[in-house]
This record gives sequence, structure tokens and C-alpha cells, in this order.
Amino acid sequence: MGAKDTKIWFGAESMKTSLGSADRTYSAIRNYETGLRYHDRYGMMAGLMENGNAEEGFTLMETMIVAQVTEVLEKSLLSLSDPSVRFIISTTKGNVGLLEGNQDTPPSDAFLYESARKIAAHMQMAHPPVVISNACISGVSALIVARRMILAGECSHVVVTGCDVLNEFITSGFASFKSISADGVRPYDALRNGLNLGEACATVLLTSDINRASEPLIRLEGGAVTNDANHISGPSRTGDGLFYAIRDAISEAGIQPSDIGFVNTHGTATVYNDEMESKAITLAGLENTPLNSVKGYIGHTLGASGVVETLIAIEELRTRTVYGTLGFTELGVPCPVNISSVHRPLQTLRCLKTASGFGGCNAAVVIAAESCEDRYEAGKVAAEAVVTAEYTLDNIPGKSFAEQIREEYHQLGSPNMKFFKMSDLCKAAYVAAENLVISTDLKARYLPTEVAVILSNSSASLDTDMEHQRILQEHLPEGTSPAVFVYTLPSVAAGEICIRHKFQGDNTFFIDKDSVFAETYARLLIEKGYAKAAICGWCDKLGEHRKVNIKILEIKS
Amino acid sequence: MEQIIQELKEHLIEELNLEEITPEDIDAEAPLFGDGLGLDSIDALEIILILEKNYGVKLSNSAEAKPVFYSVKTLAEYIVNNRK
Repeated sequence: MGAKDTKIWFGAESMKTSLGSADRTYSAIRNYETGLRYHDRYGMMAGLMENGNAEEGFTLMETMIVAQVTEVLEKSLLSLSDPSVRFIISTTKGNVGLLEGNQDTPPSDAFLYESARKIAAHMQMAHPPVVISNACISGVSALIVARRMILAGECSHVVVTGCDVLNEFITSGFASFKSISADGVRPYDALRNGLNLGEACATVLLTSDINRASEPLIRLEGGAVTNDANHISGPSRTGDGLFYAIRDAISEAGIQPSDIGFVNTHGTATVYNDEMESKAITLAGLENTPLNSVKGYIGHTLGASGVVETLIAIEELRTRTVYGTLGFTELGVPCPVNISSVHRPLQTLRCLKTASGFGGCNAAVVIAAESCEDRYEAGKVAAEAVVTAEYTLDNIPGKSFAEQIREEYHQLGSPNMKFFKMSDLCKAAYVAAENLVISTDLKARYLPTEVAVILSNSSASLDTDMEHQRILQEHLPEGTSPAVFVYTLPSVAAGEICIRHKFQGDNTFFIDKDSVFAETYARLLIEKGYAKAAICGWCDKLGEHRKVNIKILEIKS
Repeated sequence: MEQIIQELKEHLIEELNLEEITPEDIDAEAPLFGDGLGLDSIDALEIILILEKNYGVKLSNSAEAKPVFYSVKTLAEYIVNNRK
């Protein structure tokens, strides 16, 4: 079967949210019920899952993931030991709760890849797991990576799990950003005043084998990731980054905006997010297309949200319904969007799902029911990617990281007031990219949207996570530091590079044991026409350990 | 007032990681945000923490508070008028 004939189908699923199982979540949403409650423990409204019991040797989160993956595989008559099956975990913070009381040395399970590897070993997987930590677009990123892996012929099936649980680490950080709504989220509303956090775990099979697809058939027609290159925490003021993601996802699907039946947005209900989304939706010509946000039902479930909300969107396609946006009353975004508080009948069974996150990242996917004509055509691009430059930074005996990075920064000879505000991980990524971009004259040779940033490391943002945990444990009356918390996402390092150089292409952060997968993925992006150049490789910093090896990969001329 | 201005400059340099900048480099009457010191919305949140921690002064990040964030001098004036 050639790539041209390959379609990507959604298969078996498993889900847990603050509203309960998948079926319970869907029926609660149909009845306009919310899983958001005030929780004394966190001093805020949030959507918490019912606690289960952790299996011996596993955390609660790992136990949940193992159970869901097992269920999905059984329903699909597949096994992870089958070499045609790959496994992706998307999470922003994984087991970060384990840092509590362990602030000097992070325990092994706090390392996302170690935790994933333990699950993989337990399930006897043929391949190493893929871990994506891409801020709040992680879940949608994971679906896109899965689709591209199948289309590239690397595997036939991918089990994707999105999972994040709450703890004081996360709640205190969002509180420091003053971005939590005290009285419930109101997406796109004139009175919206912030988001509510939620917990969720969701797993779904993506497959090229129609016999393993769920009925009624739903396919993943296209997807794209971009960066708005504006600011690490403030969304674009124009909506251009998200617009590019929507445009590219629609273009890959081979459709027009008028072929979209509804848009299931990120819709966190912060002032700036919803404002930005309304502009992007309008730029994309979707201002009259019905739109909804499900955050009022389950909250913002971070790295799980892209997977959970895509599954909810699939249920909307199955039941031919655009769910009402709970919490919405009066339109309060600068560009009017077609939103309703009540459920509406769905005419065209095709959905655009979007997500946006810290670091300026945006993602969009198009999903469609079988009744929609399939217009996807595999690209004819068959470029070859070559490494044109490389930058390395290693431990130097007797020299501290601070000293070393300061020297590297001064050698660049271009002062930037933002540099010393960055986390060490971002400083390392910044210096590497600055050297590479200048030496290859990259900006003069490619459009901003043609350059991707694909990074990986083994410690994610643990270096900064420990700093945030230390501040948290001081229990200061004024709370934790937003300037530290914003760097507790590894993907912000890719964001800093994009902001500095105005790159707006794909940006994805993998947590791994080495940079092989990230480099292979960057190569795939170029060879399949998703990007023309990529800044890719390894960028790790934990305590005094640092290891940076970043390359420029571009089309062979 | 002069003393608070001096202290504030030191707090800003320390807490906002304005490395390689000395208090003398900061013009108390120049705009804090925008080009000069390159401060952004996260720095605004950190400045709120500085005021709360060191002077017991509470400030919201609302649009009404914007004139207070204009310069080191306007921040110092706000502290003088509102500290307990």
C-alpha cells in the first residue's frame, strides 16, 4: 500500500476525566454538567479525577496509562510487542508531584522518559516509547506526530496517550500567573476572567488498517504545528501563528474552510487566548462556522487536553452535535465567532480541532466522518535533507555552566536584555541557535514558516522544575514566581528560538534517551515537505550537567 | 523617596535578572516597559511580587494599574502613598 492510499483512522479509545469514563463524560456534557468544583486543597476551582489505586512500582498516573493502553490494545486485537505498533505519551508535567520533598535530586520516575520506559518495559513493547512535552498543544502534537509516522511508513498503528494530573506544583504556578478564574471559566464571554485546570487521561489508537478502526469511521485528514514567535507566555496579538496552523491543516486535508462543520477550539477563557483565537478563526475564514470550547465541562487538562478534546470532538461527529460552550453568555472577543451556550445540530461531519500553548506554539488537526469526501493526497515532495551546521556545548571540567554560557553569550556580540531572564535550558538553546542561524545565514534563505525547531532531551525542564519546587516549599505569602514557572516547560526553549529569529514553522519537543528520534523526525518534516529547514537535536541541562548538540538540517540544494 | 527609588532599582535588577545593568543605568523617569529594559508581562507580575514582598503593597495587574507601572518613579510614588 503506497502512501497515496494511506488513510489514518481513529480506533479504540479509553478516557477518564473529572466527569468519569468516556461514556460518562459524553453523557454529562450532553446534560450540561461540569466536573469543575472548588477544591480546598488547591484553593481554586478545578476538575479532579476520582482517585484510583496505584499498582506496586507504579505511580497513579502510570497505573492509569497502563490500564488505558491495555484496554485500547485489547479492543484493537493488537500488542505493543508487535513491531508495527508504536506508543506515544503526551504530557506536560508527568510525575512532577514526586519532586515534593525530593528537591535535591529528582527521583527516577520524575524523568518523563524513564517513566515511559518503565511502562514500555512492563508492556513488552517492541519499540522505545515516544514522549512529547510540548506545553498545552502536546496532545494535538502527538496526534500529528503519530499521523506522520504512519504516513512515512514507520509503523501501521500508534497508541497515543495524553495524561496530566494536578498537584500544587502546577496549581501554584498558574495562580502566580493570575490566570485562574475564581468562579468558573467563561470561554469567549465578555466577563471571562481566566481558566480552570483539570485532570484527564485519554488513550486512542490511530491506524492505517480500516479493520481496526472504530465505527462510525472517523479519519485524521491533516494537521500542522506552528509558532507565533511573539512571546513565551502571551499569545500573538494578531492570531497569525494559529491561523498558519489552521491553514496548513486544512490544506493538507485538501479541503476548503467551507468544508469544516465546526471548530473545537482551545478556548481556555483567559482574556488574551480567546481574543487571539477569535482573530485566527477570522483570518482562516471560519468566523461563521459553529465553534465550541469544552473547558467549562472538564477544565484545561494541559498535556491531555489535545487527546481528550479530540475524542470529545469525535463524539460530536458521531452524534451530529456541536456541544454548547458551558459558561458562555455574551460574546466578548474582538472578532465575532459563531458560538452558542446550547448544543446545536451539526450539518457537515468534519471538525477542526485547535490548541495553543506557552512558548507560542499552536496546533490544528482536521478530523472527518466517512460521509465527507476524502480529498487528501500524499505530497509529491521527495527532498533530501542534509546537515549544514552543528553546534556543541559540553561540560568543561572546572567551569560552571553560568560561567560557560556567559562566555558563549558574549562571544555572540549581540546583546539581548531577554537573555539573562531565560532558564539555563533556554540560554543553552538560544546560544546554539544564534550561532547556527548566523553561520548558515538561515533567515535570509527561508521564510519564517519554513523553519522548524525540533528539540529533545532527557531531563525535560527538571532543572527549572526543582527551582519552582524550592520556591513552592518556602510557602511564601506572595506565592511562587511566574518568571520561574513559565520555564517549567521544555518546549519554551523552542519558543525562545522562534521568538528570537521569528521562526514560525513546526516546533516539537521530545523527551528521550538520545536525539535519534528528534533528528529522524526533523528529517521526515523536510523530506515530506512540512518544513524546508530545521534546527534540531539535543539540548539538556540539569544542575551542572549540560549537553547540547544542535544541528541545522535543510533541503539539499 | 530617593531611597525607595534606589532600593527599587536594586530589587528590579536582582529579581528580574537584569544582569550587566547597574542602578545608575536605570533612569527613574523612563518607561519601564517597551524597549528600554525589555520588560514584559511576566516582569509585571514579578514587580507585583516585589511590591508585596518588600513594601506590603498590593497591586493588581489590571488596566487601571498601568500608570503605576510606567516608571521606577511612579512605582515609588505608589509605594509612598500606599504602604502601611
